[in-house]
Amino acid sequence: MSPSEVIIGLEVHIQLKLNSKLFCSCSTVGEEEPNTRVCPICLGHPGTKPLLNKKAVDAAVRLGLALGSTINKKINFSRKQYFYPDLAKNYQITQYEIPVAISGSIVLSSGKIIDVARIHIEEDPAALTHTDSTSLIDYNRSGIPLIELVTKPVMNSPDEAREFLNTLLTIIGYLDIFDQNTGIMKADANISIAEKGFTRVEIKNILGFKEIERALSYELARQKAHPVVRETRSWDAVAGQTYSMRAKEQEEDYGYIFEPDIPPINISAEYLEELKKTVPELPSTKSERWVKEHKIDAADSKIIASELQLALLFEQLIQHHNPVLIAKWLRRELLRVLNLSGKTVADIKPDRLHELFALLESKTVTDKIGQKLIEELAKSDFSPRQRVEEQKLGVISDGEFIAKLCKDAIAQNPKAVSDYKAGEEKALHFLFGKVMASAKGKAKPDVIKQILKELL
Amino acid sequence: MSIRQFVSEIQRGSISAEESIAKAIKSAGSLNKKLKFFITPTFDLAARHAHQVQHLVNNHSDAGRLAGIAVSVKDALCIEGVESCAGSAVLKGYKPLITATAVSKTIASGGCIIGKTAQDEFGFGGFNTNVGQGFPVPLNPHDSLRSCGGSSGGAACITSAADFPHIAVAESTGGSIVNPAAFCGVVGLCPTYGRVSRNGLIDYANSLDKIGVMGRCVDDVAIALEIMAGKDSNDHTSSSVPVGYYGSHAVSPRRQLKVGIVKESFGEGVDERVVKNVRDAIKKVTDAGVQTAEVSLPLAFNYGVPSYYLIALSEASTNLARYNGLLFGATEKLSSDSKGFRDFFASVRTKYFGAEAKRRILLGTFARMAGWRDAYYTKALQVRQLIIQEYQRAFSQVDVLVSPTMPFIAPKFSEISQMSPLQNYMADILTVGPNLAGLPHMSLPCGTVEGMPVGIMFTAPHFREDMLIHAGGMHESI
Repeated sequence: MSPSEVIIGLEVHIQLKLNSKLFCSCSTVGEEEPNTRVCPICLGHPGTKPLLNKKAVDAAVRLGLALGSTINKKINFSRKQYFYPDLAKNYQITQYEIPVAISGSIVLSSGKIIDVARIHIEEDPAALTHTDSTSLIDYNRSGIPLIELVTKPVMNSPDEAREFLNTLLTIIGYLDIFDQNTGIMKADANISIAEKGFTRVEIKNILGFKEIERALSYELARQKAHPVVRETRSWDAVAGQTYSMRAKEQEEDYGYIFEPDIPPINISAEYLEELKKTVPELPSTKSERWVKEHKIDAADSKIIASELQLALLFEQLIQHHNPVLIAKWLRRELLRVLNLSGKTVADIKPDRLHELFALLESKTVTDKIGQKLIEELAKSDFSPRQRVEEQKLGVISDGEFIAKLCKDAIAQNPKAVSDYKAGEEKALHFLFGKVMASAKGKAKPDVIKQILKELL
Repeated sequence: MSIRQFVSEIQRGSISAEESIAKAIKSAGSLNKKLKFFITPTFDLAARHAHQVQHLVNNHSDAGRLAGIAVSVKDALCIEGVESCAGSAVLKGYKPLITATAVSKTIASGGCIIGKTAQDEFGFGGFNTNVGQGFPVPLNPHDSLRSCGGSSGGAACITSAADFPHIAVAESTGGSIVNPAAFCGVVGLCPTYGRVSRNGLIDYANSLDKIGVMGRCVDDVAIALEIMAGKDSNDHTSSSVPVGYYGSHAVSPRRQLKVGIVKESFGEGVDERVVKNVRDAIKKVTDAGVQTAEVSLPLAFNYGVPSYYLIALSEASTNLARYNGLLFGATEKLSSDSKGFRDFFASVRTKYFGAEAKRRILLGTFARMAGWRDAYYTKALQVRQLIIQEYQRAFSQVDVLVSPTMPFIAPKFSEISQMSPLQNYMADILTVGPNLAGLPHMSLPCGTVEGMPVGIMFTAPHFREDMLIHAGGMHESI
């Protein structure tokens, strides 16, 4: 199936990282007992009026700016009315006519531009939990601030959809408007294929970018194998399949009206200028610039740029160290040890890394020792320079000492020696490893190689 | 005695707030048996407030500009812990967690809350006959066979009947203050949209709802407005335009007003006897040297009523969506054989909403549905803007506008029952204009017809309550 035979569009909901709800002052931070973070406003009590959390507008505008969108000069809110038990007012306050931003885009690694048609703000409904006989409602979620972002239907594969979401995730991380640990990013996707006449199917409730590819791949296969009707389906991540929720004819008419309790908001030029200053250089721009300016590996650059803390660390370290070395070490070693230890970049003091890279750059320690030190830094804080001194971890380049170790290794591994002589290059690596191990990683690699070759 | 005089007596200690309120409670209780203006009397609350006032007076502290005044509150305004239903059975038993800002401000100024007054269910009517199941229909103090008007019927009724110092906190969406004020022969003032915070007001139509006041004279309502008005952080639509000194018929800069006579309001469909009373009143002020000019408002008169109903009902149908038996108010038992939430919601709404509420939900829902929305709801919003511009043009020539308040005197209940819904809606023809445009307006007594009060209405530009009060004071004093 060629790409243009699949059309995918996304509607992404992002929970904003704000301390209070969208229309009241109830807290949103951390977990709480159900129905304890509620007040007359988010319970929709008669007589209460929504009081807009202006920080939500700031966040949406900043995302709009980051995606190169047009920010509307005057925005307004609307009521989307439908009856459902999770809606305290039986209408949701959202944006309909004039959203915060329109016509932005995200560029994929292939260079393909994904148009982001609109970005708007809305409130989350309450959370429903269904048991066998009852449904429970938790209004703690009622009024949680969300951003909805809608793409044009321009993606042509589940892989593109995944990359889009992944890139979006990086950007909202950079903008610090989304909490990767507690926030929820949810997507609804529409997907249609040529061989079924592009009959549009919507898939709801896809959590995060890891699920999107699974859900869309499943749906693609289903559409190819079965008759397709225009409908809304739901993604069941546990079962790994989509199931039908309702046919298109049953779709509700939301009867939108303007939200009369929130007057239109003017977005002034001064306000936009202020917010522009708070939009950091975006990951794609950063990584391209690094490759160009510092000649670092493109893959390393992209991975380092994809996390703001890591990117900032990189920029800090390359002021004193060789960027190519730093890029290699951050991506291959630092990320590896962080993954293993479950720590984050913020858990390691930049000064310690600075010391470590100074040791590596001056070849005071071997890479092997460097790897050990970085592993230990992920576990506890210490000065690499002091440790190298105390534990005598400095590189050994004493030829006589290394020659002795090499002779021992050759004597103890006759098979490797004969293999090498038969032309197997790998056997030399084996012997090299043995020597390095008996030197506890401290021997200068060049010297080992040279002596081994001479001896053989 | 005017409120200004009475409060100074209270402050001086020559009248006891507690004794005065005790008398008011006794009188209100017996009047209410006859006239049914209360949905929920709050006599204990009034006594408590009077006690606080007396305490302050005894300590020579400022007890406020409404010290010891009985204040009635339209049922649609929430008072914490006091059953507040907006006259609807769907909210029977509902005790709010908040107090409306306008009400807390009157309490803070020494007002003693004496009861929640009768109204059409959610404000859906002009005669206070569209009441929720089990709710009272107030009777006109001038003739108990006649309506008090609506929707703030109870407020006008008690204001007219009270033989104690009293003001009524009322609310208007399309005329619900001046209409009953005219029918009951009291002064009713509806301020500019946004002048008084709507926080705590159970919504009818949020872009039109305005909290105002009724009293026995212009100065009484002016004082009360001054207290209730102002920016409120709990209502984004409340205005930060500074509140003026409305008392003593102040106008700033002080000058002679030019009054515009609204041509259409003296024409077809308006009782000739009502027209005569109002024309006579205008003649009196002209004789006293006030300049007049004729003003025509064709858009307001031709398109005001339909635009008003389209906007009001579109908003109302969303506001009423929350009443479904789940979180507050009336509910039904969830049975194990119920077929899901839709059936449950429908059963509660079918049982507890009155006929007019259902009619307005249906009309409002229709007007905002895809396919109809642009032709009705959106078009009505555009017409509202044009009507506002029409008024602004008129105000470039004159300072205030004058017209009869209602096209007829208070109708008999027997007549109302014969009226079609459309005839009902057309009764708002004179009041919807200023309400739709959010302009401050006030009705004052203007003689009688068949022994029933007639109302004269003044309308002023946005936030020119001072001019409105000046015009009202001029009429009152002649």
